Amino acid sequence: MNFKKQFNEGLLTKNPVTVQLLGMCSTLAITTSLFNGIGMGLAVTIITICSNVLISALRKVIPSQIRIAAYITIIAGFVTMVDLFLQAYIPALAESLGVFIPLIVVNCMVLGRAEAFASKNGVLASAVDGLCQGIGYTVALVVVCVVRELLGSGTFGGGLLGPGGAGITIIPQPFPAMQMVMPVGGFLILGVVLAGNQWLMKYLEKKNKKKEAAK
Amino acid sequence: MKTESNVMYIARLAVTLLLITSVVALALAGVNAVTAPAIAKLTAEKTQAAIQAVLPGGGEEMSDLPAVDYEGADLVSKVYKGENGYAIEVTPGGFDNTITMMVGVDTEGKVLGISIIKHTETAGLGAVAAAGTPAGESFRGQFVGQSGSVAVTKDGGAMDAITGATITSRAICVGVNAALACAATLG
Repeated sequence: MNFKKQFNEGLLTKNPVTVQLLGMCSTLAITTSLFNGIGMGLAVTIITICSNVLISALRKVIPSQIRIAAYITIIAGFVTMVDLFLQAYIPALAESLGVFIPLIVVNCMVLGRAEAFASKNGVLASAVDGLCQGIGYTVALVVVCVVRELLGSGTFGGGLLGPGGAGITIIPQPFPAMQMVMPVGGFLILGVVLAGNQWLMKYLEKKNKKKEAAK
Repeated sequence: MKTESNVMYIARLAVTLLLITSVVALALAGVNAVTAPAIAKLTAEKTQAAIQAVLPGGGEEMSDLPAVDYEGADLVSKVYKGENGYAIEVTPGGFDNTITMMVGVDTEGKVLGISIIKHTETAGLGAVAAAGTPAGESFRGQFVGQSGSVAVTKDGGAMDAITGATITSRAICVGVNAALACAATLG
């Protein structure tokens, strides 16, 4: 088990959103305020860790022909539990994310980790994988949220800071571009974030090569 | 492979899946039992808060409503009678799903206020209608004092729709109209 490698993969080189392009639906739909991004990220992280652990523990019991059905049942179970807990104890978040919490069931990132990692690795490694991939997902979401909220609504920290949770105004009305909060803005910003991640990966690779050459 | 072993294998698949689904179902039943009272309490509190918000002094639920027909009668789910008017719970169809909202109407048929209890509108767009932000407050505020029927400016009315959420804004108007029509039949 290599925590540093897994963390690096989850955050950058195999980031579920910006490299694997999984969970696009939620990424585009809910990234309109900081609160949404953090909440969705945490919910998905918790679910991925739980489902990874259970699926890894059961990996020798579940026959491969029915594995997808078994995984989806387990994932749907955890998602429904998180949905119920959010509704009962964090209603503001449940309201803000609405239908996208139940839709985590079909978030390909969760099933993707079950199939690609948890079904082949030990329980602890799978838990770490869930955590790292979840962090990568959360960070990608938060980056899209912050840019989109700033350009679209002109605020920072929507849902968390400012009067009534409207966020702190940075660009006063009427300058923010409403289109940025709409789907088109989501696609535009996501594209730029994807490019940014690619650039960062190339940059770090070059730097590492130079270091090795210097040695 | 023998036929018998195939049968056994298929049976094993079925039993494994059955076991997994049963355990998940049991776990969900447990979580539901724990969270259901909290969710019910929150919903009741929210309804009460919504009544208080649109009808000062609150109100009592009316059990037997007169069976008269008016436009939007099927949208009215509950009516609470207070000293100065009614708080009417209506459920118009929004962009995504039905919106549950409370509309306060005074005895003269004027809107006292609206409050949204439950909705699944798009975050950042339609959800503004229910938000506690200045934009949400000002959207809901423009309904206060209206009577007869309301519509968004695009439909020739006087209500400013939420930017990028005309369908949600229309749904709110439909709900308010149903409540106004209901209050008119109650006198």
